[in-house]
Amino acid sequence: MAHRITHIPWAQKYKPKSLTEVIGNKEAKERILNWIRLWNRGVPEKRALFIYGPPGVGKTVTIEALANDLNMELIESDASSYRTASAVKRLAGRASQYGSLFGRRKLILFDELDGVTGSADTGGLREITELIKISRVPIVLIANNAYDPRFTQLRKLCLLVEFKKPSRTEIMRHLAKICAREGIEAEKDALRFIAERSGGDVRSAINDLQALAQGKTKLTYEDVSWLARRDRKEEIFNVLRRIFYARDSSTAKAAVNMADVDLDMLFEWIYENIPYHIKKPSELAAAMDMLSKADVYRGRVKKTQDWSFIRYVIDLMTAGVASSWSRKSPGWVPFRFPGRIKMASSSKGEREMLTEIGKRIGRKCHISSSRAIKEVLPYIRIMFQTNPKMAKGIAKWLNLSNEMVAYISGGEIKR
Amino acid sequence: MGYEMWTEKYRPRTLDEIVDQEEIVSRLKSFVEARNVPHCIFAGPPGTGKTTAALCLAHDLYGENYREYIMELNASDERGINVVRETVKTFARTKPMGEITFKILILDEADNMTDDAQQALRRTMERYTETARFILIANYSGKIIEPIQSRCAPFRFTYLPRESVIERIKYICEKENVEILDDGIEAILEISEGDLRRTINILQTAASVGKPISAEIVYSVVGRANPHDVREMMLTALNGDFLAARDKLRDLIQKYGLSGADIIRQIHNEIFRLNVPDKWKVKLADIAGEVDYRLVQGANEEIQLSALLAKLVEAGYEIKRGL
Repeated sequence: MAHRITHIPWAQKYKPKSLTEVIGNKEAKERILNWIRLWNRGVPEKRALFIYGPPGVGKTVTIEALANDLNMELIESDASSYRTASAVKRLAGRASQYGSLFGRRKLILFDELDGVTGSADTGGLREITELIKISRVPIVLIANNAYDPRFTQLRKLCLLVEFKKPSRTEIMRHLAKICAREGIEAEKDALRFIAERSGGDVRSAINDLQALAQGKTKLTYEDVSWLARRDRKEEIFNVLRRIFYARDSSTAKAAVNMADVDLDMLFEWIYENIPYHIKKPSELAAAMDMLSKADVYRGRVKKTQDWSFIRYVIDLMTAGVASSWSRKSPGWVPFRFPGRIKMASSSKGEREMLTEIGKRIGRKCHISSSRAIKEVLPYIRIMFQTNPKMAKGIAKWLNLSNEMVAYISGGEIKR
Repeated sequence: MGYEMWTEKYRPRTLDEIVDQEEIVSRLKSFVEARNVPHCIFAGPPGTGKTTAALCLAHDLYGENYREYIMELNASDERGINVVRETVKTFARTKPMGEITFKILILDEADNMTDDAQQALRRTMERYTETARFILIANYSGKIIEPIQSRCAPFRFTYLPRESVIERIKYICEKENVEILDDGIEAILEISEGDLRRTINILQTAASVGKPISAEIVYSVVGRANPHDVREMMLTALNGDFLAARDKLRDLIQKYGLSGADIIRQIHNEIFRLNVPDKWKVKLADIAGEVDYRLVQGANEEIQLSALLAKLVEAGYEIKRGL
């Protein structure tokens, strides 16, 4: 019954395909272009380029776009591949094959160099250094920090290009473009807030945008502003992925220790996201069953104030949920912010007003405020919406402020 | 003379004005005559006149200024022991001026008080019985602890007879110059299920929407205030759309303010009306019972009900496959 939507990360969907589409770092891009052009006239003095800068500012994306623009064949190795000496040799071997199938020129890329660890890979660093010395093909290195002591020898052979964080305005513009393409009407303030939060990390900004805006037609400032609270989204995405797609139950359980996440918050995230990842009805029911059992223990903890019960909450919400399903998804599925929290916190002011309205009704009608909200307010709301004269009179009788009247007549809990 | 809620405008002010509940009224009248009121428990379904009886009693006993001699507390709004200790004690220990030597404390929704608070209440009742009399109002007297029950005179309120409700509706309509059709009256009766407060609220709302009041207007009003979405939510889940069903659940809880208990009760009603094989009805009823119990134990409403929705999705899926 549920239709298959293949989710593509927007960071991928809207990845720049041409150098002109990459935002920011105009000067750096030019220097790179100039360096590449040097290769048209032979082998330049610096055979390697070392691009460095904070995460998410466009380093990798620039090289990929460049290769696309100049129709070059990109031969890359990133943190997921081994960088042992032999692996580098093999890569170099591939690159040095003359006359590729389409007559395209080659570009070698060693990405995420910061990820080189331990002795296994340092052999690789030496090999890369040797490779640069003799290469007849342009080589690009990318890292967050070029001045890491491990790279001392490497640096001498490279042209260093620094990538800086794009400006908030540039990021906003980019987000606005994506919204337009996705058919989402976004408030400027909302985009500004996301851009601000991202701290210059464009990838992170786009991920945030997707998590908040996907599936909506309108994105308001209120939708995003609650992000101002504990904002550990990157970590939470990782934790969630660990739990949902764990190799085994211990891995799922361990996810909780990965990051400083509030358990109740994590619970909400899991609850929100289960139906987006687990589609098979029997598995969905099983996962929800686990979560509901975890919730029972949560209630017991609160009631008895015995915190040792927490271990059962954790077990059930992590390992329990993970083991309920196959852990295979048809594609990459994004994680969404918990709808409940959004609603609760964004309407905190409204809830307080609602309670106050309930009190005023309750006082006049001799009932509790909660009953007033549930049993009387819905009728008052209709009267307000259909009969302004009556609304005025009752508002006076109840001693309601203008704000309260507007809120009641408006009806919807603002999202 | 502006507008006000008709539930208050037409609330009886003296014991004489109360129609029905004759036995109760006559007993209360005898209290007034004797100038003495014991502690009381007024128990019964909502909208049957319990609060009204208490207020009328006070009015007849103390006269026009009766509000100075009573205090109204609601256990829902102020539930804990501390409230009992502070507020009630302060009220209870001061002697009133005038002929009557005690004040009256009306404690509404007393069955919502925690056991601890009730224990504290009992002690307060004992200590200050000379200067304060308590009228506890509850839906279920069974939820009030034994020691308190034994100290109170019990009053059982029952649903008003149909004719009385109809008369009341007609009376109010006449006073408000509102025309109502017979099918409108029927519709209101059907929906309000004996709750007079709800009856009058629906009546007033319907009157604000259009005249003459017909069944159609009544249903439209009620549709907006009490959406019968529980059934729709269940059907959505049975059809396989968990996300949509969950959204509906959230609406019910957040927008319409239904409690978990309300929802599970309606779900239970609906289960046996579903078009599913018997074995599934039984399974689902069992799950509903489990959810209800867990809610009482303090589990989270939305989570537990969501799990039930997921079970409904599974049920729908298996039924389609002929299992």
